[in-house]
Amino acid sequence: MDNFEKHIRENVAEFDEHKADRSKMWAKISQDLEVKAPKVIPLWKSSKLRIAATLLILFGLAGFMGIQFFGAGSSDETQYASKELLDIDMHYKGLVSYQVQLVQKNKNLTEEDKTEFLSFMDELDAEYEQLRIEMRNNLDNEVVMEAIVSNYKQRIELIENLLKQINESKLNDENYGYTL
Amino acid sequence: MKTDIRFTHQALVEKCKTGHNSSQYELYELYVDAMYNIGMRMLSNKEDAEDIVQESFVSAFKNLASFNYESTFGAWLKRIVINKSINYLKKKEIAVVPIDAHEFHLKDDVAIETEAVDIRKVKSGIEKLPAGYKQIINLYLVEGYDHIEIGEVLGITTSTSKSQYHRAKKKLVEIINEL
Repeated sequence: MDNFEKHIRENVAEFDEHKADRSKMWAKISQDLEVKAPKVIPLWKSSKLRIAATLLILFGLAGFMGIQFFGAGSSDETQYASKELLDIDMHYKGLVSYQVQLVQKNKNLTEEDKTEFLSFMDELDAEYEQLRIEMRNNLDNEVVMEAIVSNYKQRIELIENLLKQINESKLNDENYGYTL
Repeated sequence: MKTDIRFTHQALVEKCKTGHNSSQYELYELYVDAMYNIGMRMLSNKEDAEDIVQESFVSAFKNLASFNYESTFGAWLKRIVINKSINYLKKKEIAVVPIDAHEFHLKDDVAIETEAVDIRKVKSGIEKLPAGYKQIINLYLVEGYDHIEIGEVLGITTSTSKSQYHRAKKKLVEIINEL
């Protein structure tokens, strides 16, 4: 370092000659800090949609029960095959299987998390199958109906928890840092 | 007790990490003038400097969780201001390094032995430097960055930073001598 550089470095404080307009700048900063980043809420996280889905299931089950009750004597297939209920069932099956696929392919989750999640889903699937059989035999059984609704709720909750986990790990990844 | 300089204002920084508003203001008060002066030196424009410093504080507060005392908070914030300033200049297509001579390397550092010059003349001389020379002079002489850091900030190699700095310094001395 020559004496020209040394001289400047020794007097570097003299280069700080400006005063910031503190209050004006802070007003803008605090305004920007208050603005929350827009949150992307997946459809299944919306409580309204969850309520709507639950109601849909309940109405579907009620319709199913009605057909069973008023349409006694029809074949086994038509007993269960309330078109509406089948549609709801298909919709949920599709949704759940799509989520399961997403989980299987997700790179942010450990194998352990995936296995745990999938084993819970399998348990709920088995329980659901039992409940479906029970429903055919005891159409007017409110306890069974509630159990089916609860089964769906548990699946949704399980998926929600897992998505939360994925989103949290994504957030950590996105926290870029300035490192010197 | 931690006496390492990197932990300066640690308590305040930690409070800010939790989103504590008055601590954020306290930290802002401590650093705003220094950061504003960096912005002014890099951008030479009041409005631009204000915008960049504001953006830098917002970015710093939002990403404070990633600050882990590898440097002082001031040095971390300063790097944000400098990075944002350079990005701003690049966006406006203002040269941040001399356009002509990336491959031109001086053999050795040419020491310039001058008598102690008036700092006001130095400041005025820096302002008169052609586009591209000014940033490298500011970063090395005033901000105290070494050529590795300058290379990172400007996206050039360390040897290019060295050669461009020496050309810029030579030019600066010429300008000062004419003042």
